[in-house]
Amino acid sequence: MIRIFPSLRFTSLLSAAKPLCSYSPAREPPQYASFTEAKSSPQTNSLSITPKTPLFLRTPSHATSLSEVWKWHDWAKDLASSVEESSTNSEDILDSVILHRELKWLIEDSIVDDPLVILHKSEIADNGEKNVKLRASLEELYDLWRQRIEKRRPFQYVVGCEHWRDLVLCVEEGVLIPRPETELIVDMVEELVARDEWFKKGFWADLGTGSGAIAIGIAKVLGSSGRVIATDLSPVAIAVAGHNVQRYSLEGMIEVREGSWFEPLKGLEGKLVGLVSNPPYIPSDDIPGLQAEVGRHEPKLALDGGIDGTDSLLHLCHGASRMLQRGGFFVFETNGEKQSKMIVDYMMSNDLKDCFSDLKIVSDFAGINRFVTGFRL
Amino acid sequence: MAIMAVAALFHARFPLLLRHSVPSTFSLSSVIYYRRTVPSNGLSTRLCSILRYSSSVDGGGSSSGDSGSVSDSVSVVSDVQSPNYLKFTDDELMKQCRLETFRVSGPGGQHRNKRDSAVRLKHLPTGIVAQAVEDRSQHKNRASALNRLRTLLAIKVRNKVDLDAYAPPPELLQILPPKSTIRTSSGSQIGPNNPKFVPGMQALLDVISASDGSIADSAKLLGLSTGGLSRLILSHDGLRMAVNSMRASKGIKPLK
Repeated sequence: MIRIFPSLRFTSLLSAAKPLCSYSPAREPPQYASFTEAKSSPQTNSLSITPKTPLFLRTPSHATSLSEVWKWHDWAKDLASSVEESSTNSEDILDSVILHRELKWLIEDSIVDDPLVILHKSEIADNGEKNVKLRASLEELYDLWRQRIEKRRPFQYVVGCEHWRDLVLCVEEGVLIPRPETELIVDMVEELVARDEWFKKGFWADLGTGSGAIAIGIAKVLGSSGRVIATDLSPVAIAVAGHNVQRYSLEGMIEVREGSWFEPLKGLEGKLVGLVSNPPYIPSDDIPGLQAEVGRHEPKLALDGGIDGTDSLLHLCHGASRMLQRGGFFVFETNGEKQSKMIVDYMMSNDLKDCFSDLKIVSDFAGINRFVTGFRL
Repeated sequence: MAIMAVAALFHARFPLLLRHSVPSTFSLSSVIYYRRTVPSNGLSTRLCSILRYSSSVDGGGSSSGDSGSVSDSVSVVSDVQSPNYLKFTDDELMKQCRLETFRVSGPGGQHRNKRDSAVRLKHLPTGIVAQAVEDRSQHKNRASALNRLRTLLAIKVRNKVDLDAYAPPPELLQILPPKSTIRTSSGSQIGPNNPKFVPGMQALLDVISASDGSIADSAKLLGLSTGGLSRLILSHDGLRMAVNSMRASKGIKPLK
């Protein structure tokens, strides 16, 4: 399994962190004439990265006696229950209720038979001699659960997937795990295209696509005539997004292109009908204090938004004015509250003053002012 | 079973009570508008507002706590015909709800890895709450919560029925056993696990409520034997519990 080297990740981060001054046409790759001709990306190192197979898609080649699995399950439950006393920081605590739920999902992903044979041991007449087929060895399952609790490895990386909307997306280290909040971006697009067919026909772009979650969600709501270009700077993200697109047989609608923000979109200036992004927006100073699962395991490239977190967002605002056609729609996810207001203010001032209409801040389910949306005038 | 657990849970909190006043707080505060431009070239059709989803940090809701005046087991039949909420599409029903997620305080978004994708729906016109926690995606939990809401609406909201001129609606006919003498179509009976059972169950509860909890009287109206109707009621846990609480309020012994 090829990992992106930390040094490479850091360099990419630096190059992404100075977006306002980074737009110099000379540095960008050669122009793409059209959507169909631009099938191959100039940097092809992502092609050599093979995405990991998530647990639930592996071959169930490990026959294991039920009694041994029960033993593992009891151990895993005890470990999950024991976490709360050991933590002192209440903000960054493992919640045993959630861990027990995750354990159930881990079993669902690991076993071919009905998970109930493990979960409801007491109701099974079997004395445990029967074998069940597992997608991972018991040894690996011990290891995975230890990683979850002791290393605070995110559950989604442990099982290699995240359930998001009606999708199951492969994820792995190096790719941001899509958040429940972000599901709303697709809901907004769904509502928009339901009202106006115009948006179904043109090009959409999802910048910094990560696992490809938003691009895939949008492609599905656009219907068969939809076209989505998904870009990312990270070769791992490109490989994983491409794999997810393939799993949903959307290669005909979504094109994954490697590169920074708008660079892979040359030739589409003023042509997009929609632009969406969940860019890195966390202020750099907040990065060290992040929840362990996030701070220790998820890619900084996808999280760190510069000093006040708006570096990438401001770059996206300018790009939106260049790339969207008249009437085109955009939605960006933000850090909430202060930051979303900042972005709206920015879009109403200076050289972007007359570019957008109906700028709105839309809150997420928790009531946080999460998204900025609007239309190109 | 999960449905019943939730139903039982909220039975304690939300008495069988129909509220007609739509809370005045039903203003969506989730969208902040900035420059309202009205372009001249017909763009306005494209400028839609995206405000279907509201959210709130208010946990309980004010209309749920004031159950003092009505005993838990009493179902209130309204004088005015209420809208039949079950006839609304999922989208329409969703618009009558406030959606809440459970989350700890904090910035959310990229800051958190939160496996908890639980969803809680509060149906504002009735104050009924449905929730779903068990699925891995918020999207699916929302769908499950909506299904549960439909079941709870069927159980808790009573529509007025005129027994003298009673004609069972089609949704009720299709859940009746083939033996029923009023069953006209030859279609097979819809069972309790089918989502179409829910509107039929609501209509059935309306009849039983109008008959003051009497199974014999209701059975007559439906062309069934008392035993036949009892079996139908006992086939669905929520239905059985609703009928029994209705009977308890009239001092009639429960069905078993």
